[in-house]
Amino acid sequence: MQRIRPGLHGWANKGYGLGLACWVGTLALAAALTACSSSKPASQGTGTEGAGPGMGVQNLGGAGGSSLSQFQKGTLGEPGSGGPLTDIHFDYDDYTIRPQDGEILRTNAKWLSDHGSARVQVEGHTDERGSEEYNLALGAKRAQAAKDYLTTLGVSSDRISTISYGKELPLCTDHTEDCWAQNRRDHFVVQGAQ
Amino acid sequence: MRQMLNDRGRQVLRLWGVALIALALASTAAADQIKLTIIGPGSNLAPIAISQLKNLGGDDDGTVSGQFVHTLTRDLKLSGYFRMVDPHAYIEKPQESGYTLGQFNFADWSSINAQFLVKGSVSASDQQVTVQAFLFDVAAQRQLLGKQFTGGSEDVTRMANRFADAVMKSVTGVQGPFDSRIAMVSTRGGRFKEIYTMAVDGEDLFRVTNNPTINLFPSFDRRVRRVLYVSYKSGVPGLYVYDLGSRRESQIPSPAGNLIGGVLMPSGDTVVGAVEAKGATNLYLLGLDGSVIRRLTQGASINVSPAVSADGSMLAFTSDRGGTPQVYVMSMSGGPARRLTYKGSYNTNPAFSPDGSQIAYQSRSGGSFEIYRISVGGGAPVYLTDGQHPAWSPDGRYIAFTIGRSGGLGLFLTQGAGGKVVGKLTTEEDGNATDPAWSSWLGE
Repeated sequence: MQRIRPGLHGWANKGYGLGLACWVGTLALAAALTACSSSKPASQGTGTEGAGPGMGVQNLGGAGGSSLSQFQKGTLGEPGSGGPLTDIHFDYDDYTIRPQDGEILRTNAKWLSDHGSARVQVEGHTDERGSEEYNLALGAKRAQAAKDYLTTLGVSSDRISTISYGKELPLCTDHTEDCWAQNRRDHFVVQGAQ
Repeated sequence: MRQMLNDRGRQVLRLWGVALIALALASTAAADQIKLTIIGPGSNLAPIAISQLKNLGGDDDGTVSGQFVHTLTRDLKLSGYFRMVDPHAYIEKPQESGYTLGQFNFADWSSINAQFLVKGSVSASDQQVTVQAFLFDVAAQRQLLGKQFTGGSEDVTRMANRFADAVMKSVTGVQGPFDSRIAMVSTRGGRFKEIYTMAVDGEDLFRVTNNPTINLFPSFDRRVRRVLYVSYKSGVPGLYVYDLGSRRESQIPSPAGNLIGGVLMPSGDTVVGAVEAKGATNLYLLGLDGSVIRRLTQGASINVSPAVSADGSMLAFTSDRGGTPQVYVMSMSGGPARRLTYKGSYNTNPAFSPDGSQIAYQSRSGGSFEIYRISVGGGAPVYLTDGQHPAWSPDGRYIAFTIGRSGGLGLFLTQGAGGKVVGKLTTEEDGNATDPAWSSWLGE
């Protein structure tokens, strides 16, 4: 079912240098939004009080936890928050594992082999182009593609879970190809012992 | 103004409480004998004057009158059919003159070039507010419409919305869309996408979700009793249904994998859910308890963004089964899906017009999206405006949409030469306001 896009080559080595700028940009944005926070509250439903930051999947082995928990803490995209495993990246509207990312997945599989009690959650992400719901489904395809690849490399499938965040949790918020390329990613969150 | 209105959340609870009673008032000249001058878009905007209500007791500070006139003014301005005569130009003193035919001087209004005139009265007590409102054709010196509304003080905005709808029926031939609610995703007050509902004019905001995660894709049932949405509040995506009456939220269990999208069926008792499992996303008709009533799509491709016609018979959705995201339609009772869109390489977010004859959708063009409409039977798509997330008004004349990436919600009037954007429904306070869903009329 995987679609091949001949002639398209990867973005993996593009745009990495923007990481710090994007992080600073994210913090600045967060600060600006906090400064702008509304003094005019809406009337409010009472049945939906959510859990605070840190709820959801428990993260023991990775630095920073899931992208959602990092977003809640305002640390998403911060250097050093990635954990022991390396992200892989995708072509636009595609979920095929690219050759250079196969190397990364082999390294990730080796780490998982060396840490036999660790579990991993694969997060699929997309860039901002396209609709929210279609991107959630596309992110799910990307996460599943990495899970299938890792399973082929011998990692037990019951150690790997998947989740899609679609376009909701970008590392970088500029409207540029470099930025989009960084955001089209699978991120690997190491979780505690099974 | 908005802050004051935001305290009026109780109205939402009372929408179904039959607290608001409306009566048609007999006209001195029988309304059905009047030949109306129907106005339409494309013609010049019709100048209308809206006088403050005459206080018959209990509204000495003008609160009810001010609220009624404020909301009616906002609605009729948004409609794209009227322009307001500047109240500073009004000659007549509303508390010193009459408000029914023969009890005031039309020359006071024709001399300031008002084509239409709204006058009325208010009497208020602790328990009850009664508003009478009349629409006059100034040049013809005729009453076109008379309504009496009785309810609580929190119902005054709805009285104005309903009168606005009646005014539009009187002068355009079709009931207006303002006695309804719009749900949206908004980041107001922070970074997190939360679900809100609001009046069509952007006031009377009601916050549905309050969890610092991700909340998406609101939809209503036909009777506007429930809101459905996707939330990451548990850490993984799930479908939740919020009861607007009891203010209780419940999760719809996923039959398999994750529920990453969905839409309430018109009945409100079932949903079409987008279930993601092993990378494939398929649509299912589900009970609110997560039971599978019918699987609607098959295979390993992406099938998302379900939309259901108002009579519940037709399903539209987005699928990449043909290689690119395109809009498909099929019967809710099953059978093959028919591809509807062929122009463009990325078409998504379909929405049925209330009569089920048209689908609005968004199509990617370069780095941004445009909104088109197309006949459900197929044919050439018609460009409407730049934007995303089209949602039809209950009268089928308007489309609410997201401006640009998240430039707030706009209102597009589909009538007239190609249609036109007639207003904005949100302000900067709403942050990134996106993905509107427009309810049916709230009803009696």
